[in-house]
Amino acid sequence: MSIDANGKQLNDDTPSAKSPFNVDVSTESFSMIRLFLTWLKIGFTSFGGGAVTQYLIQENFIHKHKWITAEEYARILAMCQITPGMVIVAITIIIGKRLGGWVGIIVSLTGLILPSAGITIGMTAIYASISELPQVKSALRAVFAAIFGISLATNWRNVKPILVSNHKRGPLALVVALGIMVGSAVIYVRFNPPVIVLYLLGGLCGALAYWRGAKKTKED
Amino acid sequence: MDWLLFFWVVLKSVLFSMGGFGPLPSLHTDFIMHGWASEIQFTEALAVGQMTPGPNGLWVVSLCYLVAGLPGAVLACFALLLPPLLVLIVQRCYARIANRPTTQGLLDGVVLVIVSFSIIVLANIFRSNGLDIGMLAIAMISAVLAITRYLSVNLILLIAALVGLIVG
Repeated sequence: MSIDANGKQLNDDTPSAKSPFNVDVSTESFSMIRLFLTWLKIGFTSFGGGAVTQYLIQENFIHKHKWITAEEYARILAMCQITPGMVIVAITIIIGKRLGGWVGIIVSLTGLILPSAGITIGMTAIYASISELPQVKSALRAVFAAIFGISLATNWRNVKPILVSNHKRGPLALVVALGIMVGSAVIYVRFNPPVIVLYLLGGLCGALAYWRGAKKTKED
Repeated sequence: MDWLLFFWVVLKSVLFSMGGFGPLPSLHTDFIMHGWASEIQFTEALAVGQMTPGPNGLWVVSLCYLVAGLPGAVLACFALLLPPLLVLIVQRCYARIANRPTTQGLLDGVVLVIVSFSIIVLANIFRSNGLDIGMLAIAMISAVLAITRYLSVNLILLIAALVGLIVG
């Protein structure tokens, strides 16, 4: 990976890319320590899950330190969303590599995961020691009810732009999108196949639908 | 505890899923099958994971700590960090595959499946905790508050915990 002077080329494969360190960081001096501390801070302060963590990453890397641009971040995010596992971890890996090569990856991941995982383990240990109390049990039930409600909102936010863009493409596209949702739900409940099979099936249907849609638009 | 098997089960659930809650269905099936975890431990881990800082996906660390102690939690960290390294491969071919309608369709299709699917799994756990008017009300009010962004997620969870404590 190499980065050109304006920092926009993110993933060209030119062999001239020797050092991952020749990064344009003119706006804010860069060091591994700074990188580590920035991730450490994000790991410590990102209460509230992925959306908050992403907000903090943008605040720190784009606006405060100006180590990456907003366009770059949008591309990074798009790549990370098609990668297995947690999106935040993938973002951390790409930004770490972009700024400091493999060392940057390790430094960034350690900074992100150490405080978060440490606090998670600590909280779990505290919870485990008081989990038998009836008050704790009823609080837990209420918290999970809230989590369920919040997850409905999060999922709606994820799916709304897709449904809106498909609605614009026409009634058939919208039916395909809704069909993927309902169809995968029915298959999952009735046959309980491995998760990956359903992901592939849904992705395949979506790819086919958009491909046909694009072909039709071209013909018109 | 067979640590190798344990690590593989967690790694597999992360490798073949996307997002923080993606591993849930796979972990749920395997952990229950091996007798490592109970239904309530999933509720506990998801709740504690949500209430701690950092990405949502760390609920897996909480679950593994509950069922296998500190070694389990450390293994879970590695299982969470390794699969996203594949993003470096994605990055290499991204320029070739981006902006094609097929790519966008593939991604949107996967997102649609993940959405419908995580609702089912969470709804099942929600139901297994015992349904009543109070719990349904908390879920509905939380959904409305989150969708309108009227309150931050942390505040919603905190208030829910207090309501649970007081009302019992």
